[in-house]
Amino acid sequence: MRKAGGQSALLDRRAFLRMAGAAWAAALTPQAAFALARTEAVFASGYKASDGSFGTAVLAEDGGVIECTPLPARSHGMAFSPTTNHLVAFARRPGTFALVIDRGGQKQPVTIAAAENRHFFGHGCFSPDGRLLYASENDFDANRGVIGLYDARDDYRRIGEYQTYGIGTHDLSVSDDGTLLIAANGGIETHPDFGRTKLNLDHMEPSLALIDAKTGALVERHTLPEKLRQLSTRHIDLDEKGRIWFACQYEGPRNDLPPLVGHFGKGEDLTFLSLPEDTTIGLANYVGAIAVNRRESLVGLTSPNGGRFVVLDAKTGGVLRDESVPDAAGIASAPQGFAVSSYDGDFAGRRNDVAWDQHIASLKSRA
Amino acid sequence: MTQRPPFLRFGFVLAAAFMFATSLPAFAQEGSAPAVPELTEEIVTGIMTRAVDDVIRPGYRTFEASAGKLAEMTNAYCKAPSDEGRKAVDAAFRQAVTDWGRIEIVRIGPVIDDNRFERILFYPDRKGTGLKQVQALLQEENEADADAATMGRKSVAIQGFGAIEFALYGTGSDAVAKAPNAFRCRYAAAVATHIKTTAGQLAAAWDAPDGVQKDWKHPGPDNPVFRTSKEAMTALLGILVHGTEAVRDQRIETFYRNGGIARPKSAVFWRSGNTWTSITANLEGLQTLFDKSGMGDLIDPSIASVNGNIDFILKSLRRITPTIDPDMAKAVSTPEEQQKISFLLVNTRELILAFDGGYGGAIGLGSGFSFSDGD
Repeated sequence: MRKAGGQSALLDRRAFLRMAGAAWAAALTPQAAFALARTEAVFASGYKASDGSFGTAVLAEDGGVIECTPLPARSHGMAFSPTTNHLVAFARRPGTFALVIDRGGQKQPVTIAAAENRHFFGHGCFSPDGRLLYASENDFDANRGVIGLYDARDDYRRIGEYQTYGIGTHDLSVSDDGTLLIAANGGIETHPDFGRTKLNLDHMEPSLALIDAKTGALVERHTLPEKLRQLSTRHIDLDEKGRIWFACQYEGPRNDLPPLVGHFGKGEDLTFLSLPEDTTIGLANYVGAIAVNRRESLVGLTSPNGGRFVVLDAKTGGVLRDESVPDAAGIASAPQGFAVSSYDGDFAGRRNDVAWDQHIASLKSRA
Repeated sequence: MTQRPPFLRFGFVLAAAFMFATSLPAFAQEGSAPAVPELTEEIVTGIMTRAVDDVIRPGYRTFEASAGKLAEMTNAYCKAPSDEGRKAVDAAFRQAVTDWGRIEIVRIGPVIDDNRFERILFYPDRKGTGLKQVQALLQEENEADADAATMGRKSVAIQGFGAIEFALYGTGSDAVAKAPNAFRCRYAAAVATHIKTTAGQLAAAWDAPDGVQKDWKHPGPDNPVFRTSKEAMTALLGILVHGTEAVRDQRIETFYRNGGIARPKSAVFWRSGNTWTSITANLEGLQTLFDKSGMGDLIDPSIASVNGNIDFILKSLRRITPTIDPDMAKAVSTPEEQQKISFLLVNTRELILAFDGGYGGAIGLGSGFSFSDGD
C-alpha cells in the first residue's frame, strides 16, 4: 500500500462481513475468505487479464485478489452503495453496459443496457440511500451529456434522465446529503460512429455543473476561462466539508503548463491550485484519477502519462508527496493514505499479471 | 481488446460470463518481463523522421496531385462530355480515393484542424445529413455553390468525396453529361478543386521545416506535440491502432456485422463501387507506415514474430479485399463474399491486437497502447 501518513480507522472485518452478507462470504473459497478476514480495507477495480479478457476484481488492502467477475468488455469507473452493498461496473465509453453486483450475494447480477441513442461515459454514483443509481451518459446525436436514473429497487429500470448542462460528461458524484449531483463535463465531443475520437479539440466546452438531484434543475454551472478552454474537467471527489475537488486533462500544446487540479463548492468560484512546476510537468498535463482521504485531509492524484503519484494537503494545497509510479492508474482513499494501482499490475505493492484500470472503488462508506 | 461496437447489447454475453463469476481469480504473479528497447532520442528521431519524410509528406503530396488530376479530368469532361472523358474521370476518382485512403489513416496533426478531415470525407453520414444538403444544392443550381473558391466557408458535408461521389455516381448523375457545362458536373469539378486545395494545405503544413514535422521529429520539453520520445512512439503506434480500428469499426461494421442486418448503402464509396478500393488503400497505408518508418526494427530479434505476425495479417487482409465484389448489395448477400467480409472482421481484430498488445507491449507499453489510452 502506498501511504501518505496519518492515523486512520480500520474497516472492521466483521462490519465488512455484515456489509457483504453471509451468503456471499459463504460462497468464497477458503483462501478468499481467509484473505477477507485479514484485510483492513476492501477495494474494487476493473482489469484486463494477460489473456486479453476483462473483469472486475475485489481486492484486500494488501493488493491480494479476493474475488473477480469476468466482463465482456473493458470497464472503467465503479459505483458502490454501502447501504445496499451493490457494486456497479460501468463500461468504458462508448460502452453500452453496466453490471450491478450484489455484494451481499442475495440477488443475481443485473445487466443494465444503455438506452437507445445513449451510451455510458464510464462513471456513476448511488444516492446515499442506495435507491437510485445515477450514470453519466452520452446523448450522442444531440451532443449533450445526460444522467441516467435507475431504480435500484426495480432491477435498475431506467426511470428517467437529467441534463448535465454540458458535453463530454465523464465523472459524476453526489453530495453527502444526496441533494446535489455534480457532473464533470469534460467538454469533448465524441460520437460512437467515430469510436473514441475526440471531435472538437479546437472548440472544447469544459464545465462543472451542480444539479438538483430531485428535479434535475441546474443549480450552478462553472465554465472555464477562455485560456483554459482545452482543459478537460474529468474527475471529481468530495472532501469532508463537501468541497468538490476536480482533476483535469489538458488537450492543448504539450509544452503548456496549465493548472491540473482545483476545487469549488456551492456558491464558490473555481479555485485552481498552483502546483510546483516540477509536479505539473510530472503529471504530464493528464491527471487520470483523483481521490480525497477525508480523515487525513489529503488529495491524491495519479497520472499514467507522467507515471506520477502526488499527494496534496487539502487544507493548504501544498504538495506532500510526489513520486514516480510507472503507469500509475487508479487511486482510492485507504485506511492510511491512498491505495494506488498501475497499468502494469501493481496494486498496493503487490503485482499481478493484469493491467488495472484507471479507477479504484473503496467498498466502504466515506469516513 | 475492448469491444467497440456501440450498439451491441451485451446481456447474453454477460449472462454467459456470470456462469463463471464465482470462481476465484486465476491471476498469476508476474513472470519475467519482456525485453524492452530503449527509446533513445536518436532511435526515435530516426523512426519519426522516416514516418514523416517517407510516408506522411509524400502521402499528402500524392493525394494533392491526384485530387488535382480529378479536378482537371472533371473540368474537361464537363466542357465536352464523352465516354472517353468519363472513363478518365472514373479512373481519376478511383486514384484520388486510393491516395486519400493511404494517407487518411493519419488522424492526428493538421488534418484534424479546421475540420479538414471531414471536409475531405464526411463519413459516416448516418442520418443522411450531408446527402440531403447535396441533393438540395443540386436541385437549386445556385451558381455560387459551384465556386470552389468559396466552398470552404460552407457546410463540410458539401465539399468532399461524399458530395462529388453523389454528383458523379448518385441518383440523377446522368445529368452531368446531358449537355456541356451542366451545373451538376461543374459542382463536381469544384468539389474536386476544393479537395485539392485542402490536400495542398495539408501538404504545406507538413512540408514547413519549422512546423509539425519538426515537432514530430524532435520530441523534447519545449515541443508542443511530443514532450518525450515515448510520447512520440505512442502516437505513431496510435496511428496504426486507430487506423485499424477505423477500418473495422467505421468502414466495415457500418454496413456489415456478423449476425447483424447488412446495410450495403451505408458503405463508404458504394455508389462508385470503390468501397474495397478505399479499404484496400487504408490497409496499404498501414503497411507502408509500419514498414517504411522502421518501427519493426525496435523489436528484439528474439521476438521478431511480433513483426512477422503484423506483416502476415496485413498481407492476408490485402489479399482478400480486392477480390470482394464491389457491388455492395452482392457483397453482403452472397455467401462466398460474406465469408470474405467475416474474414476481414476476424483478422482486423487480430491486427488490432498485434499492433496494440503485441507491438505496444514489445516497446514498453506494458498493457498495450489502447489500454494506456486513458479516460
